[in-house]
Amino acid sequence: MSEKLQTLIIEDEELARNLLRSYLKDHPDIEVIGECENGFDGVKAINEKKPDLVFLDIQMPKITGFEMIELLDFKPQIIFTTAYDQYALKAFELNAVDYLLKPFSKDRLLAAIEKVKHRILNEEDNSEKLEELSNFRPGEEFIDRVVVKDRHKIHIITVDQIRYIESLDDYVMIYTNDGRHMKQKTMKYFETNLDPKNFIRIHRSYIVHVDHIAEIQQYEKESYIVILKDKDKTKLKVSKTGYKKIKEVLHF
Amino acid sequence: MKHPLTHNYRLLGFYIFFWAAIGVINIILQVLWYNVPLVYSLLDTGTNYVLFPLLGSSIWYSIRYNSVEEVSVPRLIIFHLIAASILCGIWVYISYAIYQPFIRDNNTFLKDGLPSKIFAGYIMYAIYLIFFYAVNYYQSLKEKIKKESEYKALIREAELQALKSQINPHFLFNSLNSISSLTVSNPEKAQEMVINLSTFMRYSLMHNEKEMVSFTRELENIKLYLSIEKVRFGKKLNAEFEIDAHCLEAEIPNMILQPLFENAIKYGVYETTDQVTIKTICKCEGNLLKINIVNDYDASTIKRRGEGIGLRNIRKRMEIIYNNPDLMKVIDHKTSFEVQLIIPQKQAVS
Repeated sequence: MSEKLQTLIIEDEELARNLLRSYLKDHPDIEVIGECENGFDGVKAINEKKPDLVFLDIQMPKITGFEMIELLDFKPQIIFTTAYDQYALKAFELNAVDYLLKPFSKDRLLAAIEKVKHRILNEEDNSEKLEELSNFRPGEEFIDRVVVKDRHKIHIITVDQIRYIESLDDYVMIYTNDGRHMKQKTMKYFETNLDPKNFIRIHRSYIVHVDHIAEIQQYEKESYIVILKDKDKTKLKVSKTGYKKIKEVLHF
Repeated sequence: MKHPLTHNYRLLGFYIFFWAAIGVINIILQVLWYNVPLVYSLLDTGTNYVLFPLLGSSIWYSIRYNSVEEVSVPRLIIFHLIAASILCGIWVYISYAIYQPFIRDNNTFLKDGLPSKIFAGYIMYAIYLIFFYAVNYYQSLKEKIKKESEYKALIREAELQALKSQINPHFLFNSLNSISSLTVSNPEKAQEMVINLSTFMRYSLMHNEKEMVSFTRELENIKLYLSIEKVRFGKKLNAEFEIDAHCLEAEIPNMILQPLFENAIKYGVYETTDQVTIKTICKCEGNLLKINIVNDYDASTIKRRGEGIGLRNIRKRMEIIYNNPDLMKVIDHKTSFEVQLIIPQKQAVS
């Protein structure tokens, strides 16, 4: 390899960062170009510096390593580091992405780097695998927050802030009390990962938070609309199956 | 089940006294009122109230192995009729064998008395049957109650065991990783941390054996736990203690505080990039030890889901130990989270 791998360390614990740095210090193919203490800085650094390789901790303050992946415009090679997370392990096994279990030896780390080098040489694309990984969530039954990025700012939206979600081809638009946020995820993802006690897929294009429903109106025979509690009184179309689901959840 | 008369001496005494009393009354009545010759009366009493009770005690076995629940009623009736016939046969045969030497000349006593003797035998059999069924019922009821309370104790024990906190593997592996890092940069600190971790582990293993410890020990252990976590989190973790000195003698369930601090670290320290203070306030009021643990948290990143499994287990453990469901309070102040434990003491701490 002619050039060194531009490498970024994203890890919240200082001692863990020190160890990684000391392991990588005299590696001939690695050049550490930066360190980040949390996921926010990590996303920014990856998008700006476009590193070849990232060492990424999973449990971090603000946003997790998995959530970070959702926010990346640029997908580098990633070696995950984690202490113990049986669900994360499951995810890794399914996706065959490199990971290191803390505490790990220098040899184990070198082996992971060799694997990454091999992948870069063969120009393997792992962005799809990463995408899959970020959808994998067997640990909790339902998500309790969504991370989004508008231009340069990252927002963490707890699910009770969501009013409704609208489908836009490959994207969704998430409407909250203070605005709207675009996210590259499918409606199916939100339908399965949001608690169905609170969120109803009322239409092919809409998922609504039940607490934000003000009224359900019939506007034609067998067709309904939902009116939300906001000041614009947003109206959303309801499909036949959507109406059935509303009836089930709200018991009427 | 054992024969109640051979294993319950009170019942045996009562049995002997009862039939002896009946026998004596019988003799008195027969001799003084009906002018029956004493020999006859003795023979009659002997066979009815001594011999029959002796033979009759075997009826226990006939009911013991033919419980009403397991055997159909017709079979039961047939069985007891046969058993009664055999018993009466034996009884009458022995009775007459005893009579023979004394009453050789008087045929009427023997002949005329036979039907009523046999009839009396059946009636007595029935009475014994009822008596033994009652005894059997009472005994199995007592045994059931005993077993039930044994089971309850076992269940309580098992529940307590299950609720005791286990060391979180996440904590262990992260600590080991810190140590791994320190061996490179600061071997002395690494050694110190290995020792702290070992002491902490030893304490947490000990709690399998002992339910209650002194508050001082529990507190020492918590400080040890926090010192280990402080190596990982550095100045992000700040712990403050405000403890009334006279509380230290109080008794407290083993390892009950550690999960609360673990929780505070998980939701407080882990989720934010700023410094988080975990404040512990302990007061003694009468015979109550009150412990409040307060930590800041970043409400913008986590939606608190009320009680997680850690807190629920503590609540249940307190409920089982103290038989009171209200000893743990959880208060969400939106920017901080507070857990209060109330630990009753056997005597007032002063």
